Amino acid sequence: MNRLALFKAYLVKEFAIFRRYLPNTIGGIVTFYVIFLLIFLGYTGIAGGSPNYGDMVEDLIVGFVLWSLILMSYQNIAFTIKDEAQEGTLEQLYMSPYNFGWIITSHVSARLIINFVIIAVILTLIMLTTGNWLNINLLSIIPLTVFTLMGVLGVGFAVGGITLLYKRIDSYLQILQFAMVGLVAAPSESVIWLRFLPASWGSTLIRRVMVQGASIMDFSFGELSLLILIGCFYLAVGYGIYKKAEQKAMKQGILGHY
Amino acid sequence: MLDKEPMLSVVGLEKTYQAKNKPPIRAVNNISFQVKKGTIVGILGPNGAGKTTTIKMLCGLILPDAGAITINGHDLAVERSSALRSVSAVLDGNRNIYWRLTVRENLAFFAALKQRKTAQISEDIEYYLEFFNLKEKRNEEARKLSRGMQQKLAIAVAMIAESDILLLDEPTLGLDVTSTHEIRELLRTLVDEKHKTVLLSTHDMHLVENVCDEVIIINQGRVVVQDSVSNLKGIFQTKPYRILIEGTLSDSQILELSHIPNLSIEVLDTGSTLLTALLEEKSELYPILNILEQEESPVESIEKITPNFEEIFLAILQKGA
Ligand SMILES: Nc1ncnc2c1ncn2[C@@H]1O[C@H](COP(=O)(O)OP(=O)(O)O)[C@@H](O)[C@H]1O
Ligand SMILES: [Mg+2]
Repeated sequence: MNRLALFKAYLVKEFAIFRRYLPNTIGGIVTFYVIFLLIFLGYTGIAGGSPNYGDMVEDLIVGFVLWSLILMSYQNIAFTIKDEAQEGTLEQLYMSPYNFGWIITSHVSARLIINFVIIAVILTLIMLTTGNWLNINLLSIIPLTVFTLMGVLGVGFAVGGITLLYKRIDSYLQILQFAMVGLVAAPSESVIWLRFLPASWGSTLIRRVMVQGASIMDFSFGELSLLILIGCFYLAVGYGIYKKAEQKAMKQGILGHY
Repeated sequence: MLDKEPMLSVVGLEKTYQAKNKPPIRAVNNISFQVKKGTIVGILGPNGAGKTTTIKMLCGLILPDAGAITINGHDLAVERSSALRSVSAVLDGNRNIYWRLTVRENLAFFAALKQRKTAQISEDIEYYLEFFNLKEKRNEEARKLSRGMQQKLAIAVAMIAESDILLLDEPTLGLDVTSTHEIRELLRTLVDEKHKTVLLSTHDMHLVENVCDEVIIINQGRVVVQDSVSNLKGIFQTKPYRILIEGTLSDSQILELSHIPNLSIEVLDTGSTLLTALLEEKSELYPILNILEQEESPVESIEKITPNFEEIFLAILQKGA
């Protein structure tokens, strides 16, 4: 009950910022949209004549949208930790009676809801532009997405922790974002070991729903278990790394800026 | 009685920073002190004395190497969450708030973060907006406020937690005279009317002199003295004397005077000689006068100096060193 109050407070806070900085958000949406258009045009140039061109475009759309969402979620957590440490508010969060894990979970979930809305807008724009309509089975997509993102959050935690200790690694963080394209694009349907990367297997399953029209009920127990296990594994390891870094930062007196 | 119990107790606190490839820095060296309920205590010390490190250890943000911190009866290392429920802190002046949120949104968010009951939050926000004179700015983004108002908002945000203890690291650093004055008044009111306990750090003696009940002077990570502000002023009120003598002293007089501790001799441009003596007792004046009498050096004036806090501070630091 008490815990929900914090989540609600985060929703109010994030929504207030979202509304206040709507022009920035719209700018962000336009940027993503333009990036997609460029990719799409290039892609059409290369693969335009292919017989299963339709499916390939849908694959591309799903991949792109997933990448956007993964990017937002990753940035959301890694940059939140980094920025709040720099801005001095992280220390206030640490003085709350709530457990830090719950604080950051509330924050991330609140942001995620807003990001879903943003992604929905981008996806709609893209589908309107390309004329390819995907299978939007929310009951299947949402749970798959949540578990897919758990792995990403784990990476975000690990990176966020590292930024606490090494304050000048911003530029590497930027590079990492593009490396995430690889996670989404990884052909984990055919290459088994790729499934163990964060978010790769989830992306594959989401593709099956959105492109091939499957439903979550069509997946085997093993397939779903793998998704959940991978998500939990990366989240646990990432959070573990974060906690280690946090303790080290508290020893060194650098939880705030210094 | 209850108010004799310390709200905050620190015993044997130690912190050494050990950065790679750098010599270790002993920032806090065996510090112990207590803060009584309903008082304002100032930690006074020059830059680098270890004030911020001490306050952040009290906040649970820096882990001490040794020592015990008890907050409102809870050991911080053992019952972190219960202990922290009793404290709020303003650590970096205007940086402890969300700049993109409005004044009101900041208050509401931090109230929730500190587990205030939702039903009481709205009423309290109104109260603190009024108290801190921020009513007109309620819907202004924090980043658009003046430095002084941001600082007030940060204190308001700390207050809305309704915790008993308020920790403030350099609350008037970088503020103009008016804001500094306003913050002083607000702190005094918080303690007098809302019975809060405040521990603040500063290198501004005037802040200590004007709002604090007690002062803990620290230097190079050590407590040099902890006493009431009025006592410190009192002790020194009887101490420094200036004796002005016409002409100069003989060598034998100077030699004899050099055996008296805490006495300095200065020949002024006017040709007169000025003795400045820091005395434990008034009666210690007689030996000095005796030396002067031997050669009938004409005493022009004897003056007792009322020191300001700065002089007390410097004198204590010199003694402690
Ligand atoms: N995180 C840190 N890492 C290394 N040294 C630090 C750190 N924080 C403070 N110091 C050093 O410890 C000493 C005490 O600093 P601080 O507690 O900030 O003093 P004050 O607040 O009184 O100015 C200073 O010499 C400072 O340079
Ligand atoms: Mg300091």
